[in-house]
Amino acid sequence: MSAATAETHDQAQEEHHHVEPFWKKYIFSTDHKTIGIQYGFTSLVFLAFGFFLMMVMRWSIAYPDRAVPLLADWPWFQAWLDDSGKVTGDLYNMFGAMHGTIMVFLGIVPLAFGAFGNYVTPLQIGAPDMAFPRLNMASYWLYLLGGVLMFVSFFLPSGAAKAGWTNYSPLATTTDIHYGDLFWTGQTQWLVAMALLITSSLLGAVNFICTIINLRCRGMSWMRLPFFVWAMLVTGFLLLLAFPPLEVAAIMQLMDRMAGTSFFVPTGLNVSGMSFDAAGGGSPLLYQHLFWFLAHPEVYVLILPALAIVAEIIPCNTRKPLWGYKTMVYAVMVLGFLAFIVWAHHMYITGMGPAISTFFQTTTVLISVPSVILITSLLISMWGGSIRFNVPMLFATAFIPMFGIGGLTGLPLAFSLPDLHLHDTYYVIAHFHYVVAPGTIFGLFAGIYHWYPKLTGRMMSTRLGHLHFWPSLLFMNGIFAPMFIQGMAGFHRRAFDGGKAYEQISTQIFAEPNTFLANIAEILNVIEPDAALRMIDLNIVTSGSAWLLAVFQVPFIINLFISKFVGKKVSSDNPWDATTLEWATPTPPPHGNFLSEPVAYRGPYEYSVPGEASDFCPQFEDDPSKIPAKSEAGKEGDKPAV
Amino acid sequence: MEIPHEVTPRRDTGLYNAKLGVWLFLASEVMLFGGLFSAYIFLRVGIQDGVDNPWPWGLNVHKDFVWLGFINTLVLIASSVGVVFAWVALKERNWKLYQVYMYAVIGCAVIFMCLKGIEYNSKLNHHFGIKLKDNSVMEGELVNKTDRIRFEGATASVSLQGAVPVFIKSIPKGEFPIFKVTEGPGSEEGVEIHSDSELKAWFHKERRAISAKLTEERKRYRAELASGVANPTPVSVSSSAKLTSSEPFVLNANPRKVVLHSDSVVNFKDGSKVEGKLISDDVEFIVHEVDLQLVLPQKQRESIVWDVINDEGAKQQFFEQQDAEYRHLREYYEPRGEVIPEKMLRGHILNLHDVHLGGHHGDDHGDDHHDAVHKSEPKPSAEGAHEEAAHEHEDDHSISVPRDQIKFMGNHGPRYGNYYAIYFTMTALHGLHVIGGALVLLFFTVFGKKLYLKNPEHLANRIEVGGLFWHFVDLIWIFLFPLMYLL
Amino acid sequence: MAESTHDWGKHKKSYLIVFGALCFCTCLTLALGIFAPFDLGPPGPTPADFVIGLAVACFKASLVGLIFMHLNHERGLIYKLLVFTFLFSLGLMALTLFAGADPILEQYDTLESTKGKLMEKL
Repeated sequence: MSAATAETHDQAQEEHHHVEPFWKKYIFSTDHKTIGIQYGFTSLVFLAFGFFLMMVMRWSIAYPDRAVPLLADWPWFQAWLDDSGKVTGDLYNMFGAMHGTIMVFLGIVPLAFGAFGNYVTPLQIGAPDMAFPRLNMASYWLYLLGGVLMFVSFFLPSGAAKAGWTNYSPLATTTDIHYGDLFWTGQTQWLVAMALLITSSLLGAVNFICTIINLRCRGMSWMRLPFFVWAMLVTGFLLLLAFPPLEVAAIMQLMDRMAGTSFFVPTGLNVSGMSFDAAGGGSPLLYQHLFWFLAHPEVYVLILPALAIVAEIIPCNTRKPLWGYKTMVYAVMVLGFLAFIVWAHHMYITGMGPAISTFFQTTTVLISVPSVILITSLLISMWGGSIRFNVPMLFATAFIPMFGIGGLTGLPLAFSLPDLHLHDTYYVIAHFHYVVAPGTIFGLFAGIYHWYPKLTGRMMSTRLGHLHFWPSLLFMNGIFAPMFIQGMAGFHRRAFDGGKAYEQISTQIFAEPNTFLANIAEILNVIEPDAALRMIDLNIVTSGSAWLLAVFQVPFIINLFISKFVGKKVSSDNPWDATTLEWATPTPPPHGNFLSEPVAYRGPYEYSVPGEASDFCPQFEDDPSKIPAKSEAGKEGDKPAV
Repeated sequence: MEIPHEVTPRRDTGLYNAKLGVWLFLASEVMLFGGLFSAYIFLRVGIQDGVDNPWPWGLNVHKDFVWLGFINTLVLIASSVGVVFAWVALKERNWKLYQVYMYAVIGCAVIFMCLKGIEYNSKLNHHFGIKLKDNSVMEGELVNKTDRIRFEGATASVSLQGAVPVFIKSIPKGEFPIFKVTEGPGSEEGVEIHSDSELKAWFHKERRAISAKLTEERKRYRAELASGVANPTPVSVSSSAKLTSSEPFVLNANPRKVVLHSDSVVNFKDGSKVEGKLISDDVEFIVHEVDLQLVLPQKQRESIVWDVINDEGAKQQFFEQQDAEYRHLREYYEPRGEVIPEKMLRGHILNLHDVHLGGHHGDDHGDDHHDAVHKSEPKPSAEGAHEEAAHEHEDDHSISVPRDQIKFMGNHGPRYGNYYAIYFTMTALHGLHVIGGALVLLFFTVFGKKLYLKNPEHLANRIEVGGLFWHFVDLIWIFLFPLMYLL
Repeated sequence: MAESTHDWGKHKKSYLIVFGALCFCTCLTLALGIFAPFDLGPPGPTPADFVIGLAVACFKASLVGLIFMHLNHERGLIYKLLVFTFLFSLGLMALTLFAGADPILEQYDTLESTKGKLMEKL
């Protein structure tokens, strides 16, 4: 089979085409590609929604004494604002909790694992579909149900969950406890929705692992798997083994709220001056352990797919093999293992003793080793290549330093002493957002630009792509870089009025002579008396960047939709001249994916093999001499356009 | 399109898809129950003596539940054997035998769930505990199975925000009074409300009206602020309303929905309140046992529980029995030259005692004493049932417990303490697994014939996979039985 | 497993033996909990009771796993999966417990009490 003859594919597509009713083909589909696209769209909608929540929060932080513009007249909204239209603490807490939840559980994980994993994994291993197509559909619908519940909870009388995305007990147990119908409060619905989302992820993880282990095509041995598939396998295991404890925690908190148990309610708890009506004897720390047992591996669930997408794009666009493929595979496995035994570094200030804290500090520092191996391999992969700076490659290139900053700023947090100072400040926010926002999300954007031609048969606009990339890079840094400074100055992340209280206190401290802090400031001559005030001004830089970032997502949205209709048609099935198996399928791939049984003849990244006529040897070609000359799109991609 | 390895195993992994899938699923189940077991350990180890509720253990606490658990273990083991035999029958292509085994397995699942139901019913409906202010605990039963604050209402105040006020659920069915709106929106027109559905409709209508009004007002306020008015009139929209009943109405309030109550007012936790006259807030209770584990030994004789029970005979009997049990402990520790640990004195011996109140006491005393001494020996529990039956006859004497003496109370449901919480959570989750597994196996039994004729090997695979799940359910119970009932 | 030539009688026999062993172990567990000669140590659950009770349960579980769930016929893949799963669930139990057993407060208490003792001596 030749990879690049378009006309035969059209014919073949007709042969393979089963007439299916619309609802079966696009809505209740069991085809992994349709499900992947469903995941993709749903999660993009949730990402946009989560971003919107954050923009409102940023208004309250930057301009705590001004009314929210545009939204104050909307009835639902104004019910949560105060009389003059300012954001209230309740609204801020609600949006803060839901921003985190939506971004992590409804946005990025489904986009990275659900959408890319579903679409690309079976193609890359040469499988006709996932191992359990109907289960795959079930996981999407469970996910959607969970997402809808989360969304609906905003419109309940109690509003959505307000206890932070971590939902720590006993705060989460007692929030909105005075509502008559406890089940229909946002806080309870959060738990129900989480249970659905977790179930969905578990089913998805079983499906992925099973597919990768059992459905690899002929010749696709373990060390011929593209790195993306490896990352998916490890991600699948992380989800499979780390999510159940959170499900336990959710069930137990649900019992605490609905059945009145006291798993996480200590003896003698008082809520607003009244003794809380529960038997007591529980432990709030237990919740944190169960939560972070998931939530730390979850960090790697967020980052690994993006990192692996970048690992696919870089060799393709540098025309060089992935440097240290095997090392990366082993590193990712070690990473997956270590991810399970580092969780309590989120809990240094819970009063853990030195012995156990030392253990967690050690494992936390250890886990940076495989992370650095991964990122270094990606960096070295670019060394000496003739790089095609097309849009996916731009995002992939930006991913490396952004993830690097996010990772390296995590090191101080790995040690309990600096963590005591930095815990719950903006420093932490900046650290993990650098990993997740300019890191993961850039990786995912790169993936969208990279695989779009395979989905639609058309390229995305390069011009709009550049208009999307450069401002995004600028404003991402505009948002998160100031947070490091603010965080080190001690700004707390939950201050809904952007540190107004802090401003007063700090000016007081610095203004009063002979106080301890003022003396230190004087001696060191580092912190000037109005330093704190200037820190607060950074809020405006951050918020402004956030809103501008939103504006510059518009080119992407336009690009995503109109390129389907007006984008340049691809002239071959392999427009980027890539080597992995997904490019052997017709464009777009039909139900069942491959026209004839695919065979993997070689490793995944054989670019510029010495002695070969072409600069790439696809996995699916047994004789490299048959590979046609470079396709047109590939040639154009050579130049860094615009 | 056909998915490879649906029936035949893949050469290099030796597994067909479904088997690999179910093993992966079981791995996540191991983590699920692993999380619950670690919660069990964490909570149990974390108990602070004398502060938290003690962990109930042993035969004299769990009584005949131990036997139910024991039978359930055997039932589940038998069903596991049934599944493997059904699988072998399929491998031997013996459809009849396969069906016999499968129905036996499902029968076992039904028996298991029935026994579980008996146990839940007994815990939820026939065991109730009251913890008094000084941490002494009375175990027994509520007189009318439910606990209500009885109140005679005259007026109700509600806030026209949020959800429908909870107080309407406390009005007995068919006794809904005629309310007249006396304050708040609708008071000028003299709106009358005749039923709870009318009240809900009125509430929703007025809530919408108020929220619209509030929107308007705030708009005005913001406009004034923006235009630089020096002292803008602040927003004031009252959302409170008062309903007055034409005649006093009965209110049986669930104490868990009430924040505070006094002789003239009941405050519900959602902010609604009813004014009127308190009829009684005492708890009518039948005492079976007194438990003083959380009271310091030297303070046990002055515990308020004796004031509440107000029965000298019962008190005397309690301490006689305690002495007997101390004797038993001394018999164990003194020959070994050890001192009885404080934890033993507090934690275990005073666990449960039978006290008998009122006139029956004198007649039965000798008998009881014998029973008490006997009890200190570990004894087979067939007598447990007899003992409980005995209570039914003797304890028709009830007492009134003043509510302000009560710290916490509840049936032996999940609320009652961490043991009960984890017991109910784990067994209910396990029960759901049993039901789910049984339904899947039932499906294979009833609708398996078509597949059997087409590809018997495929059906055998399905039974193997369903069986793997079933064995796992059995396996979890193997751990639950000793941890929940015996240790 | 070769299907046609397979001796299923042998299988059935081993299943019945396991059934007997499981029933016996269940009775043993019960006896441990309630009958004096088996209930080790002072009345009530002691560490010895826990160790023996859980050891019996583990033995039963491994019988079910090996024979009923055919782990004795499986290849390495599933063992690898299970080893990691058990490792992580044990990690969850153990580390959670250690973190609970090593609170900073206790260190502080001991420090205080040591200081107190020193003061007494002085």
